[in-house]
Order: sequence, then C-alpha cells, then structure tokens
Amino acid sequence: MNKIKTYLNNADVSRFRFWVQIFTFVLFVYGGYWGITIAQNLPIFACPYDHATGGTCFLISLQHQLHTTWDTLFSVRGFALLTAFGTFLLFFFFLNKAWCGFICPVGTLQDWITKFRKSIGVRFSRYEETTFKYLKVIKYLFLIWLLIVPLAIANSFFGLPHMSHDWFPPFCTICPARVIMPLFTGDVSQLAIDFSSTPALIMTTLGILAAALFIVGSFVKKRFFCLFCPMSALQFLFSKIAFLRLNKYGDKCTKCGNCYRVCDVGIKEIADDVISKNIVKDDCMMCFKCVEACPEDGCLEVAMFKIPILTASENGFFKRYGADEQKEITDDPK
Amino acid sequence: MDFLKDTELMSKRRLPMIQSKTTDRYQRMKKTSSIHLAMETKKSLKEIVEDFPNNPESMDYFYKLASVFAGEEKINTNGKKVIATTCVQVPTELILAADAHPLRLCGGAYATDQIGSEYLPAKTCPLVKSTLGLMHLDLYQVDEKPLAVVNPTTCDQKRKLGEVSTDLVDIPYYTLELPPTKDSEEARIYWQKVVKKFSKYIEHITGNKITRGKLKKSIKSVLEAQREYRKFYNLRKGKPVIWGKDAILITNAYFYDNIERWISNVKQLNAELEEKVEAENYIANNRSPRILLTGSPSIFPNLKIPILTETLGGVIVAEEFCSTSRMLYDTVAVDEWYIYDMIPALADRYLKPCTCPNFTPNKDRERRLLEMIKEFSIDGVIYQSFAGCQLFDMESRKIGKVLEKNGTAMLSIETDYSPEDHGQISTRLEAFVESLKTRKHIERK
Repeated sequence: MNKIKTYLNNADVSRFRFWVQIFTFVLFVYGGYWGITIAQNLPIFACPYDHATGGTCFLISLQHQLHTTWDTLFSVRGFALLTAFGTFLLFFFFLNKAWCGFICPVGTLQDWITKFRKSIGVRFSRYEETTFKYLKVIKYLFLIWLLIVPLAIANSFFGLPHMSHDWFPPFCTICPARVIMPLFTGDVSQLAIDFSSTPALIMTTLGILAAALFIVGSFVKKRFFCLFCPMSALQFLFSKIAFLRLNKYGDKCTKCGNCYRVCDVGIKEIADDVISKNIVKDDCMMCFKCVEACPEDGCLEVAMFKIPILTASENGFFKRYGADEQKEITDDPK
Repeated sequence: MDFLKDTELMSKRRLPMIQSKTTDRYQRMKKTSSIHLAMETKKSLKEIVEDFPNNPESMDYFYKLASVFAGEEKINTNGKKVIATTCVQVPTELILAADAHPLRLCGGAYATDQIGSEYLPAKTCPLVKSTLGLMHLDLYQVDEKPLAVVNPTTCDQKRKLGEVSTDLVDIPYYTLELPPTKDSEEARIYWQKVVKKFSKYIEHITGNKITRGKLKKSIKSVLEAQREYRKFYNLRKGKPVIWGKDAILITNAYFYDNIERWISNVKQLNAELEEKVEAENYIANNRSPRILLTGSPSIFPNLKIPILTETLGGVIVAEEFCSTSRMLYDTVAVDEWYIYDMIPALADRYLKPCTCPNFTPNKDRERRLLEMIKEFSIDGVIYQSFAGCQLFDMESRKIGKVLEKNGTAMLSIETDYSPEDHGQISTRLEAFVESLKTRKHIERK
C-alpha cells in the first residue's frame, strides 16, 4: 500500500495528463467516426457542431431545454431539463473540475498552443491582479446570458417583445469552440458569417472574433479562454460537493509560492490561503501541477471520496524538479 | 543603466587605495585583529570538537573548513570571480550562473565586531559590525577578493551599512532593493524587477553572460544542495544523532564553500548519520530536552548559545535562523525553463517564504515556528536576540505570546559577540534546561 502511495506521489502527473488529453481529444473530436458517443450533457466543451464529436456539451442541451415557454417549462417537459441537469451533475461530481484539466478538448487545444509557444521560447504573459479580478466575472455574465436569452426568445419578459430567434443559441454562436472544433474534421462551414439578419450577423461575427482571440490569446496566455468559460462558472457552483477534491493543509505551507508559479490559470490563493482546506477556486482546472510543485509533505492533497490519491511530497518534488532530471538543456535558443 | 555608471565610478575610485587603509594604524589593526580572530576561531572550534565526544567522522571536513578564519588556509575558488553578499535574500543561483563564487559575509567574529564598533554607532547589531570589520580588514574567507558586495535592504542597519562605509571598504556595494513587505502582489512584482536588474549587474561585473543553460544548471545544483540539506533536516526530527552546534557549522560552511564540494560532504554526513540511526547510536537520551533555536542568527565563531545549551544537557534539534533553515529550506519550482520564467521564480523563492522580521506583517514566522515545534517535537524554544538587533527583539514578545498559547516554553536571551555575558547566560540557560528536564520527567510519568 505504501509502495503504491510513494509511486503515485512521485509520479509525473503532467506527463500522464498529456497522454490522457491526447486520448480524450481524439475520443471527443473524432469519436463519431467510429460510432462512439460517450454521452450527452457532459461537463466539457465536446462540440456537436463538429459532426464527428464523441459526446456533447451540457451547455447546448441547457440552451435548448430552456428555449421553451414558461408553461412547458413547468410541465412534464421540464423533467427533460432536470434529467439533463442530473446527468451533467453525475458526470461532474466524479471528476470535479478535473474535466477541464484532463478531458475538455478545448482546454487541451490551449495546452497544445502553450506547448508550441514554449517550444519556440516566447515568454507568456500574466494578468495583473486587479485585471484578473475583473476578468473573472465575465464567465458568470456569459452563464447568465445563456440562461436568460433562450427564455427571452420563447417568452416575453415584463411585457417586452420576444427576442429574435436569430440570437439562438446565445452562447454557442459566440463560442470559439463552435468555429474551431469543426475545423479538425475539415469542416470550414462554421467560418461563415451569417448576413441574414442583424442578430445573426452580430453573433456570427462575434464568433469569428472569439475564435481569432482564442488562438492569439492562448498563445500569449496559458489557458486564456478558460477564464471566460461559462461551463467553468456553472461547474464551480457545484464544486464544493463533488467527490474529487484538492485539499490544502495550511499549517504545513511555507508560502514558498511554487504552486502559484506553476499554476496555468494563475490562482494566487493556492499559495497565500493557509486557512481554507478546499482550495478549488472557480478558475481551477485541477491539473494538479501545484501538487507536483509542492515540496512540503502532505501540504496539498488530491482526494477521491476522502481517500488521498496524490499527495505533495518532498521526494516527489525533488524527483520532478531536482538535479537528476533526464532532459538536460543542450543549447541556448538566443 | 544607472548602476553601471556607479560601478565604473567605484572601480575608478578604488584604484588609488582608499585612504583609511593606507595608514600605519590600519596595518597594526589588521595584524592584531587577524591574531584575535585566529585565537577566537581556535577557541570556538576547540569547544565544538573537544567538548563533545563521538562527533561524526564526516564532520572533520566542516571543522577544517571553519578553521579558515584562523587565517591558515583560505578557500580556493579555482580562479573564479567572487561576489560577496550580506544577507539571505540574494539569489545565489544568479551568481553561480555567471560562473562566479558566491560568498556570504555575515560575520560572527568578535574580533571583527570590535573593528566595526569603531565606525558604527554603539548600539549597532554585532553581526553588522562584525561584517564591516571583516570587509574593512580584508579578512575574506576565500583567496580571491570579491568584485562587489551585494547588500539587500533588509534591516535598517544593513540597509545603511553600504552608504556609510564606502570610505572603509574598497569594493563597490550593490544595493539590492528588497521590499519591506512580501504579501502584496505589488511587492512581488517590484522584487522580480529588482532581481532582473540584479542579474544584469552580475553579468556586467563578471563579464559572463547568464545563459538559459547555465542558470538552469545553477538552479538545479542549489536544489541538489537543498535536497541534501532537507535530508539532514529530516534526520534531526527523530532521536538526536547530531548536535546542533555541528548543524550550524554545516550551514555556515554553505556561506563560503564551493557548492559541489559542500553537497558531496553533506551527502557523506547524511549517510553516516543514517547509519547511526540504524545502529541506534544516539548522542543523547530521551530525557534530554529538545530545543529549537530562533532569533538573531548564530554564525561561527559565535556559537556561544548553542554550545552552552548543549553542554548543559539540551539538544538543539532545529534552528529557525537565516543562517540555517531559512537559507536552505525553501525551493524553487520553474514552470518554463527559460530566463523569462527562471528569474521571476528565483525572485519569488527569495521573497515569499522568507520569515525575516524585516517584513511586516510576518505572520509566516509564527506559523513556521509552530509547525517546526510540532515536526521536531520541541520541548523548549531559545530566542536569541543580539543587542542592537531591533527587529528580532521587537518580535520576541509577539512570538513569546504565540508560543505560550501553544504551551511551549521559551527563553528569551539578549546577547552579543563578547564573551563577557558568558556567566550570566550560562546560569539562565542552566535553569531553563533543568526546568525543561523536570517538565519532561513529569510528563513522562
């Protein structure tokens, strides 16, 4: 038992994650070619605009289910929404936000862009603390937007006229995944701008802009889009009751800041908060790089059903960051 | 950049020897102080080596190394340029990456403390005075004279030292602007910029470029040193196999020794200690109180308090000093092994986990001490503050309260480098150690 524990604590989690990401990327982007459909209502951006997708994103079902009149929403049909939501939660509870770090193909894509940037030695940028604080809010605004607009299309709010159906689906049309993911199967149709009506024009243009911003943004900033992802916002609302946890035992923390330095999404609390035990924040994608970089035995811990599966350890840290690392730098790029 | 201009001015100025060093008096002072220093070193070493039986064989290297202050044989830097530092917050990795030899000057000698007293106010901390004396008399531990002294703006006395002693020291000072606080993001960003600028200075003054490969290598070799240090640190959590006075000497050696040599010797020592643990060959029994030392740092040859404590029956199992754990415990993790990420990572490591009382707030020191007390099963804490070391003195009451709440006994001692208070301190320490013994005895029953 102890051997397994040591093995896990010394493991190169990032490499494991890299391979899992490749596997899940192929599964969710090309799965359809082999007739694979994992499930609907998944807590990841498995985009159905990609005709070969191996599953679908919960946000698209959510928007469709909400695109209904109040009467139907509160009738038997409302159950459809509840079951979809229940399925989403069931999936989510098992892996918590590790869906983002390990499985989401859009997240994987950003990690690959980061890898490319790294390979050519271009430095990354970080947001300033205050900017970060404001930008964080955007994902919640997107979430509210995608919850309200479908209802406003089907219903009248406060006697106002119904919104045009061309706003629908309100998030998908501006989601960069809608434009980019189909490209992987050679489908360029989503690059089109729809001139049929003003809302359609606005939405498709925004979609193209978002896609362009996605590529440029994730080149300079690690996990650029995740900061704005409404799925991440929705997940976080239920994160506190999920089974997979990232715990911090603050007494053991020396605030060396290693965890914050390696954090791709820039969560400062991971280093500075020495009080909270549950350290999963709304931007966390549970990639566990922080646990890898923590040199204090048992300070950070990943637990499933309260059973620790990966614990920060001194040995593990030195194994990963210490001198006997195999990959040595041979030449200087500059 | 402005510092380049300063350094050039300094190097021009240093060509004609500075005036204070040309006098006969200076020569006499240098001669007598060297003799005093040698005597002090030998006396301290004698106490360390001879008063304690069964010292580990691997300690011989460190005993020999410490005798460098006796002036017999200086540390060979293999022709490398030397950059001196005066505090724990200087990123030594950068100095190593520029193929230079880092040398921490923080002095512990009473002989040079007396020289410093001539030029600094009477109530100055002995460590600062001793450091100044050492620089003024050129009594460096290495064979090569340093190119510059990197002086971080930590406590008031160190901060001002560079400015008020330019006529006494003939090597240029480089002021490393350390922020007075460390928790805010602003301080962190500021310090990263300071360290970046410092790396340029190192490149300039050594004439060697800090490349990606070299910096990565130096970070890894410091990490290797830390891995060995941590192994040593962890060994002391169990039943004692090594005295605290030896532990302090080992970390002191890191001030001036060649890093690779230091690593291999600590490795050897760790192996020997592991054997001792296996053979249950302990230096003290269960009744000896386990003591944690904190406060102003004990630096060789001033090991007055540790030696006294241990001859009186206590065992120092841990120190929370900038000359020991604060210097070597916390590590660097770099995400992208390029200069653009390595330098900020280094900056973070030297700022964020530092528990120096010059930072305010310094809540981390309380947390660190409490954690150490738990990890090392500490029976009592000895809080050393040097006369004139205001910051540690000011924090002592706060720390005392925290420890009291935790149920840990603490003895606060104000001392300096002079041997005069030996008797008085010995009495107090004896009473403290005895009370801890009694308490332990009662608790065991």
